Amino acid sequence: MNPFEKIFNYGIISRLEATGICMITAHERGWLKAMLQHPAAPDALTPETLSKLQQLLDGEMAIGIEGIMVEKARSMERQVYHSHLRPLRRIIGSRNGMALSYAIRSGKLYTGQEGFPYKLEYSMVKREWYIIWYHFKNRMMMSTKLDKITGISELPLEDDQSERLSVQIQARLNKRRISAAVQVMPEYNRELSRILYAFSCFEKDVDYDPDADCYTITLSFSNNDSEYVLSKIRFLGKRVKIVDGGMLQRRMYESATKALERYGMA
Amino acid sequence: MAKESFDKEIQFLRMLVLTSGAYSRQQFASRLGISVHTFDKTIKRLKDIVSTVHQGLPYEQSKEFAETICYSYYDSTDPLLLFLFRAKSLKESESQRISLLLAAMQERPLTAMELLDACCSSLDAGLPMPDEKTVRSDLKYMEAVGVIKREPGPRPYRYRIHNDLIRELSHEELLDLYDFVDIMANTQVPSVQGYLLRDGLKKQISRSHRSGRGDVTEPYLYKYHYYSRILDEAHLFTLLDCIRQRRKVSFLYFSPKSARSYAARSTNPLFERESEGRQESTLPLKVVYDHQYGRWYLLAYDTRQGIRKYRLEGMTAIAAGESVAEEQFVKRRGELEEKIRHSWLIDTGRPVTVRARFYNPGHSMPNFIKERVLLQGQWGRITDEDENSFTYEIVVNGTIEIKPWLRSFGSSCEVLEPTALRLEMITEWKELQTYYESLRENI
Repeated sequence: MNPFEKIFNYGIISRLEATGICMITAHERGWLKAMLQHPAAPDALTPETLSKLQQLLDGEMAIGIEGIMVEKARSMERQVYHSHLRPLRRIIGSRNGMALSYAIRSGKLYTGQEGFPYKLEYSMVKREWYIIWYHFKNRMMMSTKLDKITGISELPLEDDQSERLSVQIQARLNKRRISAAVQVMPEYNRELSRILYAFSCFEKDVDYDPDADCYTITLSFSNNDSEYVLSKIRFLGKRVKIVDGGMLQRRMYESATKALERYGMA
Repeated sequence: MAKESFDKEIQFLRMLVLTSGAYSRQQFASRLGISVHTFDKTIKRLKDIVSTVHQGLPYEQSKEFAETICYSYYDSTDPLLLFLFRAKSLKESESQRISLLLAAMQERPLTAMELLDACCSSLDAGLPMPDEKTVRSDLKYMEAVGVIKREPGPRPYRYRIHNDLIRELSHEELLDLYDFVDIMANTQVPSVQGYLLRDGLKKQISRSHRSGRGDVTEPYLYKYHYYSRILDEAHLFTLLDCIRQRRKVSFLYFSPKSARSYAARSTNPLFERESEGRQESTLPLKVVYDHQYGRWYLLAYDTRQGIRKYRLEGMTAIAAGESVAEEQFVKRRGELEEKIRHSWLIDTGRPVTVRARFYNPGHSMPNFIKERVLLQGQWGRITDEDENSFTYEIVVNGTIEIKPWLRSFGSSCEVLEPTALRLEMITEWKELQTYYESLRENI
């Protein structure tokens, strides 16, 4: 199977799109057939849809990766689909508001909290689903674990209202963005590829100073992801040094000092 | 037409994405070992494809290409790099002909002759008219890639478009399927076929969606992805096929570790004269995806050198070779499986027991340390536990691959064994402390 088949050519795709024709290749059906064997399939699809799909894919060859492909250093997969995704994505699609009931860490329950849903977010690290939403009364952006939600209802909104909220949310998310500059220690330049791969999950800019043969990576992220950025930087160890980003630099100093204390080296 | 491998485009894009704007045109070109003219030509070709595939994309001629394809989390729903898989070059006449044939078969099943007529009557006047042989060979190709199906019945055979998967589902079912495909393509590997399917479903849903309110197909975000990982999937399927067929594989290899990797001065792989790489022929056994860096590896067997490891990003000009006896393949695979049983990633060195003490966060805090160790600690076990800490133990091949993970916990992790690893950690933390020493007075 070659993913560069001419049938995927952009000219063909855009022509078919213009005439409203839908095309599916054996590659895509084979991939789907393999994915339908995943334990998440019966959660994501109704029994009728699932059996219909299985019937439609009868006779197709699933892409066989078992025993050939190995995944290493992967987080345990505790949740791929969550039953709240279906109602919530439909509310997001219709651009309406919602009322949520949920529990917080301490166990305290909140009921009927009104707000506007923005996106459903999956954490690849924690392997869990969250909803990012705007809380009307508290005027705050929230991120709530779907597992903690006990009730969902839809609140109708006017078009202009949802339009206004979307713009507001965008502005709030942008306000939460911070950045940090990380320098690749020149003696580790030969590991640049590894370092850049590790940071390729963030929005970033790379600056290269040819005279000093020095790379500086400016990462841009939401302030509530600082801990994750720090763990990446600790992961890379001596290869990189934060050169701009006050709080993160202090945290790194703290990490090193406390770690040395653990080893009795204070 | 020679088989296009896209080795150069993949290399070009990978470098563009990873180094996001670090290099000027000249620096970029020289690092890839190409002329500035070739650089400009490649950029132009990629720009053309991107703008055709993503018509809605904000796109100005003057805009730097690197900016156009740079990663932005809140706009990451459509994987932009997917456009590469749409880049196979095709003559205008062939692209028009195949689209027309598919459109004709959409209505009802047709014979080759009927299709020839339909095609000739709608093809642009300037383009060459196809003959029966061409249409038959198009049909054969489309049947092989599964987009059309031959109807049962006597000759002359009739062909129809094979998209029941979409046609037989209701709007609600399509939406559920779209979500499933979106989630699986984003959380599982391999993903390229899933993204291609997602694209098709998305178009179908927006055509049939009449409420006109909002965009029904982009409610999900995934935090965080290795943005360039789908570029490496390009070669994956050739390798999977070879493994399945027990065939050897040959390729030109540029080790990312060697001085020729693009971090080095004279650099890079793929655009340089081919003699710079190393020609390899080996028996592929397994492909490994490393979630820690988002990178792919091939593990193979070589008669002279035993187990060999290659990074997929360094492999170019891949070709299937001769097949080997099943018995031999099974034997080598068994040996490899035994060797990687304790690999944190792909290390096949000597197994050692690593023991580390992890410290829980403060009393009122949720225990995210333990949670993370349980999630990411692979086959390691928690051996004892008290109020403030717990001990984690794992048998792993060598300590090099697990070390970054342990270090990422900062002061919440203390390595107990082996002593050599404990000492290495102490040395590293000392050095890291000096990196930030100047900030001491501010703390």
